[in-house]
Amino acid sequence: MNMKSNSFFSFNRFTLLLRNDLLLNYKKYLLAIAGAFILCFMVLYIMMPNNFIKGEPISIYGPGQYEYTFGICIFGLLAFVGSAFADFSSKPTTFNFLQMPASAFEKYLSQFLIYGLAGTAIFFIIFWIDAHLARFVVLSNMKYTNGEIIGADKYNYIEEFSYYSMFFERIPAVFLDKKGIYWYKTIMSFITIFSAGVYLFNVKVAFRKFGLIKSALSFVVLIFLIYVVMRLFSHLYFPEKLPEDISGKLDYILQNGLSNTEIWMSFLACIAPLFLIPFGYFKLKEKQL
Amino acid sequence: MINIKNLSFYYKKKSPLFNDFSLELENGRIVGLLGKNGAGKSTLLGLIAGLIQPKAGQISVNGYTPFSRNPNFLADMYMVPEEFTFPGVSIACYVKAFSPLYPAFDPEKLNSIFEEFEIHPSSNLNKLSHGQRKKFLIAFALSTNCKMLVFDEPTNGLDIPSKSQFRKILVSSVTDEQLVLISTHQVKDIDTIIDKVVVIDDGSIIYNEHTEAITQKLCFETTTTLHYDDKVLYSEKCPLGYRVVKPAANTESGIDLELLFNAIIAKSI
Repeated sequence: MNMKSNSFFSFNRFTLLLRNDLLLNYKKYLLAIAGAFILCFMVLYIMMPNNFIKGEPISIYGPGQYEYTFGICIFGLLAFVGSAFADFSSKPTTFNFLQMPASAFEKYLSQFLIYGLAGTAIFFIIFWIDAHLARFVVLSNMKYTNGEIIGADKYNYIEEFSYYSMFFERIPAVFLDKKGIYWYKTIMSFITIFSAGVYLFNVKVAFRKFGLIKSALSFVVLIFLIYVVMRLFSHLYFPEKLPEDISGKLDYILQNGLSNTEIWMSFLACIAPLFLIPFGYFKLKEKQL
Repeated sequence: MINIKNLSFYYKKKSPLFNDFSLELENGRIVGLLGKNGAGKSTLLGLIAGLIQPKAGQISVNGYTPFSRNPNFLADMYMVPEEFTFPGVSIACYVKAFSPLYPAFDPEKLNSIFEEFEIHPSSNLNKLSHGQRKKFLIAFALSTNCKMLVFDEPTNGLDIPSKSQFRKILVSSVTDEQLVLISTHQVKDIDTIIDKVVVIDDGSIIYNEHTEAITQKLCFETTTTLHYDDKVLYSEKCPLGYRVVKPAANTESGIDLELLFNAIIAKSI
């Protein structure tokens, strides 16, 4: 029994595996952190307003705008997560990875820890630092279009960034009377991002070559298939109507305020990781050179 | 110890590479695995190393099923592939990262092989020549003290002094508990160190003999002329006349592995 658990997971071996990865790839990770820091800063800097027309009403850069910018930057995090299992990009590196004396579970977990958990945690820290830094830099140079420096009131134009105000305090006006829906949508956004991350994390394990291209193609094929099925159903059940009449009614709002597409997408986002994580693990276990 | 029973493997179902293939190799040996291009040598090494899954049959290496890739199996098996790549780090960093994963790793042995091969631990692996990188990989493999060592074309890319150093180091470092499997086309590089010859052709073993038994049965010579009464089993023209394989008389000769291989392929033995 002890022997069996040892061959599945050994804490000592797992730490050695992590150490191995960090020793060999620390430069790559540092570069990724530096790149993420610069990119996030640039996006925030570009998105923040830095000059105003004197006398005209100003739009305040607040939690809603931060959330939008955060949404853009998260694509960078997803790209990093998608670069997990980098060794599967060539035959000799695949050989090295498979021959590493560690179990498939330890290998999968180490990549998940580095690219998924550590990557996300570092991204959140980088975004927080960049948001404060970008605000400081933009406020330091804030001017009216006539070149006049804006006074102390400029601090009101860009609000101080905090994750709490972005995720928990802010409720857009349209949702004020339906807070439950807002929270549902927020939570579902996180689950969708997590689900996309899990998918990208497994791409290199599942596909031998051109994983991202194949994924994009399969996505296009999936959309096309849904369209074909819908048209087929239209012809079958509503032969007297044009298919467009049906497809136009595909998206509808339910009594609780959610659209059926949102519910369907939420369902997919929740279910997908439950399937993708074991799928990735078993694919890794069965991976061949 | 390797025990292969009724192995079947194919890349395309219509052209099987191995069909009902069986092989048994015991520890304490340096085995030369020979065969023509496409005979299935590298595939067999991949199957033994757990890189490829057999379609049918059983493979057992030191009591483990290779494709299960049990970490204890991987920590006791090291393969030096023909094609390899390294991360862009120094030798010292690489050793620091990988050596703890092999419980029987011997750093002193590594340093002594480094001295023999004139390898400097501070060198960056990606700035070394192919031959130097191969020497490093061989040094690392031998220092792991794994029970199972697999070398795929180990002497490719090595210069002449390094080839003889490789032979010397390999013979002096291998213990009775280890099994070394060498697949190569450079047969002259290993003919003095192997103690078993396995030849595969079209997915089957066509020759499997200890070198002692070979030298007791066969004699390898160079003669200027061929006589009808010489009982020559196989001959090849060479600048000095003929290289011949004959039944051994009273005297034992060294093995000419290239000649032996050609004779086996020509079905003269």
